[in-house]
Parts: sequence; C-alpha cells; structure tokens
Amino acid sequence: MTRTEIRIGGLGGQGVILSGIILGKAASIYDGLNATLIQAFGPEARGSACSAQVTIADDPVDYPYVLNPDILVVMSPDAYTQFAPSLKPGGMLLYEEELVHIKELPEGVRAYGIGATRIAEELGRRLVLNIVMVGFFVGVTGIVSVGAAEKALLSSVPKGTESLNLNAFRRGFEHGRSLVGAA
Amino acid sequence: MEYENFPQTEILRDGRSIIVREMTIRDEARMVEFFQGLPLEDRLFLRNDVTKPEVVHRFVRETEDLVLALVVEFDGRIVASATIERGLYGWTRHVGEVRLVVARSMQRCGLATVLLRHLVRAAPGEGIEIVKAFVAGSKGGALRALESLGFNKEATLRRHVKDVTGRKHDLLILTNDVSHIWEKMEALNSDFSPVLGG
Repeated sequence: MTRTEIRIGGLGGQGVILSGIILGKAASIYDGLNATLIQAFGPEARGSACSAQVTIADDPVDYPYVLNPDILVVMSPDAYTQFAPSLKPGGMLLYEEELVHIKELPEGVRAYGIGATRIAEELGRRLVLNIVMVGFFVGVTGIVSVGAAEKALLSSVPKGTESLNLNAFRRGFEHGRSLVGAA
Repeated sequence: MEYENFPQTEILRDGRSIIVREMTIRDEARMVEFFQGLPLEDRLFLRNDVTKPEVVHRFVRETEDLVLALVVEFDGRIVASATIERGLYGWTRHVGEVRLVVARSMQRCGLATVLLRHLVRAAPGEGIEIVKAFVAGSKGGALRALESLGFNKEATLRRHVKDVTGRKHDLLILTNDVSHIWEKMEALNSDFSPVLGG
C-alpha cells in the first residue's frame, strides 16, 4: 500500500486550500486513487497562517490528519518555520524560494525551490502563485499525473481564468521537471 | 488536456464546418485575397485600406499589439479575421479592442459569435480587464452578437460614420468588463471558510 502525506502551508489569501483541493481532486477523481483534505485556518484567514493536509493513497484513507508529512509545500516563511521540523526524515520540501529561506532541514530531506511569485507576476497575475506551486509539485513528485492535475485545475478555477491558470501550472511543472532531471 | 489551443474545428448554425486558428505570416497572400473580396461597404468600417498588399504585409507581421489574431478557414479559403489588440504602454493597457471581419458568404450563421467568444475568453489570461468594441448603429447583427456575450453600450457617437452612399450612422462603443472573473479567483484563493474558519 502506498500512502503519501502532504502538508501545504502559507498565508491566507495565497490559495493554500485551493492547491490542496486541486491535488486531492486530481488523485481521487481523475487518477483513481483515494485522497482526503483537512484544512486549517488562522483567526482571520487573509494574511495569517493557513495550511492544508492532503493524504493520497492507493487504499481508502483511514486517518486523514497529517502529523509528519512526506512532502511539505511552503509558501511563507512562517509556514516553513512551523512545519519544517515535522517533515519525515528523507521527505521532500517544496518551497517558494523568493519568500522562504531555507536553514536547517531534517536528515535526508530533499529541497526544491521555485520563484513562483516571479513567474506568476510575469504571467500577469500574482494571484496564480499557488497554481505555479501546484504545477511544481506535480513536476517534481509525479504523485498525480499531469493530465489528472490539469483536469482538476480546469474544473476548479473560474471560467475565463483557465488559460492563465493553465499557463501558470505548466510553468511550475516544467521547472519542477527540469530540477529532477526528468525527460 | 489542452485548453483553447488552436486550430479548432467549429460547426456553424447552418451545419458548415470551419477551422479557427491563429494567423501566421504564411497567411499573407490568402489574407490579401480575403480582404480584396470584401465589398466596399464592409471595408469602410476598417481602420486601414486592406486591399493594398503592403497594408496586409504589415498586418500579418506587426503583431506586437495583438493579444490574439485569429483567422477562419472554410473550403481552403480564409473567410474571417478576428483580433484583439491593446496598447502596450499607457493608462489603457488593461483595455483590449476586438476587431472582426467576416466574408459576406459566412455572415448570419453565428460565426461572429464564435470568434468573439474566443477573443473574450483569451482576454483575461493576457491581463486585459475591459474588452472594447466599436460597431456602427446600423449593424444590428454585430450588436446582438456583442450583447449576447456580455458587452454593454457605453457611448454613442452621433452621426459619426458614413456608409458608401454618404449616409451617416451612429457609432456605438461597447465594453465588456472581464475583470470580475479574477474576483472569483481571488475569492477561491481567500483561504477562508465560514464554516471552518475563525
């Protein structure tokens, strides 16, 4: 049985929860796996801590809470400080490299960074930073297929925004693939 | 899964199948043929004299301001041209203008609506917040197509354009505010749940 625990952390307003929803939908609806999502908010969402816990597994998920993630995705320094110590040894850290500065990591953790904010701004909307991160996640980890992720993305974002969101996803995906040396 | 990639095949109301694709430099000769085939009445509302090959030569190459330039192929010929363009500098960078020309033989079968829909859908992805169109008051079909896609009349320039007979018509300015779709995205990204938050 394969089970992957993921935590996504950032600030309210960065689209942390939407990122979790897209990954969960990709896994459960389009890739035929099982997935759960737990969302946690700070006292006021915008600008305060926010995190999503996503579990993806071959079998039904009996316990949805993520205590020690296999993969941690962080989009803010606070999220890194708060959640990095809980990463499993040998786990993976994906981070927004212009916002998060890596210090010490648990043993054997592989870390991959992306300038998601800059890419989102180049595309014309800083708002799609989270979608760049989702693409980056898929490119580096391959836990969900790119086709499933794109379908989940397109079924989750408002009509009219699909094109830019898809571009954001693909920019993140390509960067992720290039870092892990995928063909 | 591809989204809004061209070429796309569309079936018109009368059952004819057309191909919508992006314009390229290789279209120059066929674009000249298309524009030269337009009746004078249809060409009068265009900005430039597109029957001149040198004008078309520039049009297919100087695409810096064009957010999207589409052509429609039917039976091996180009039968329509549709663009959305904007200035790259200045205080109206967020405003795009749609321009549409359809051959007489392809009018009144929903082609204008098909093309406008492509242009309007492309606009927000390129940072355009308002899509603008000019249409002569006498062009009822074009007006209905624009209004069906969310365009609203903003202004009327009275007796502003002349047709081939010298008769003056109103020129209408219509706009479509497409920025609201990003408000929906912002709401999605707000990371706030009225049930679970707090």
